[in-house]
Amino acid sequence: MKIKKGFILRTVCGENVIVGEGLDAINFGRMLSLNETAAFLWKKAMEYGDFTADSLADALCQEYDVDQAQALNDVKETLDNWTKLGVIE
Amino acid sequence: MEKEYYIVAEHLFCVEGQDSILGLLTNYTPFKTHQRDDALFSLTVVEGGPIQYIEELRQDEEGQDIVCGHTEQGDAVFEFLWSGRTAGWLVCTAGYRQGTLHLSGFQVKAAVDNALMILFAMASACSGTVLFHAAAVSLDGKSYMFLGKSGTGKSTHARLWLQNLQGVELMNDDNPAVRIKADGTATVYGTPWSGKTPCYRNISSPLGGVVLLSQAPYNKITRLNGIGAYAAVVASISGKRWDSRIADGLHETENALAAGVPMWHLACLPDADAAHLCKDTIAV
Repeated sequence: MKIKKGFILRTVCGENVIVGEGLDAINFGRMLSLNETAAFLWKKAMEYGDFTADSLADALCQEYDVDQAQALNDVKETLDNWTKLGVIE
Repeated sequence: MEKEYYIVAEHLFCVEGQDSILGLLTNYTPFKTHQRDDALFSLTVVEGGPIQYIEELRQDEEGQDIVCGHTEQGDAVFEFLWSGRTAGWLVCTAGYRQGTLHLSGFQVKAAVDNALMILFAMASACSGTVLFHAAAVSLDGKSYMFLGKSGTGKSTHARLWLQNLQGVELMNDDNPAVRIKADGTATVYGTPWSGKTPCYRNISSPLGGVVLLSQAPYNKITRLNGIGAYAAVVASISGKRWDSRIADGLHETENALAAGVPMWHLACLPDADAAHLCKDTIAV
């Protein structure tokens, strides 16, 4: 999977927000607020370019004190949400 | 070719063209300057066209189309159309510091205004400056801006302040500029661009508050914070956000405004009570 072109993470008044700024994302028309974990996953996804639920779960385990099964669960939930919103493909 | 220099929101710019073109620019007269140094950008106005370019995005605003694109060399192009008929092509070079407007001969004045607004917005985006789509009034040395979608009643609400409140003046009815200073404070400036209302005033004052308007069968005002305030500001500023350098510059200003300036949402009727409620809440 990868993040769709044109979506970027901004810091707005101290909060993490996904906005559509690129030509392919200009009609997104909303802002997506991310909690700390989701923002961490977004940054990792950007870094990886091409990512999977497993690769993000591994990254989550390295950063936070969480077991692999729980991490994978959290990652899948976040990715499901992002897919529904159309910010990843 | 003649040259004139102007200062808007403390940014100097130059317009070069035939006498007959510069003579049309009466809305810029209050902004004329004898200074010549450090121009933010300059615009040269010529006749001609069409300009060949690759289309990126078409924006439709109130019967007017602006098509954004780029030449094969990579220079930004903006084509201005009214009712489907082209008024001109603006070609920007040197990071928006230089523009050439090629006029078709149709809607000459409007094309020059559009070209200057775009160059101003683009060239100043990374200098803490934004052009708002808003009405701005001043009261007791501070300015207040009214935001909202087209047709919401920004101008109407500004007029209600003028008619019902002592000491209120109109600063600009459509496109005031806002600049964040080094100390973090925000200042509102009148500009040569004011929509259908001829209000071209070379004045400025500190921004005291921003109000997002929406129509309702009652009057109610609530505070906007954080992302809500940011979203209201972003929606009121046009910009080429798919150019990441411009987007970064705009974001920095928008974020500073959302974090540092009191913002409100006023659901309102077009009546005197709305103006009183708004003023009593925000101008304290």
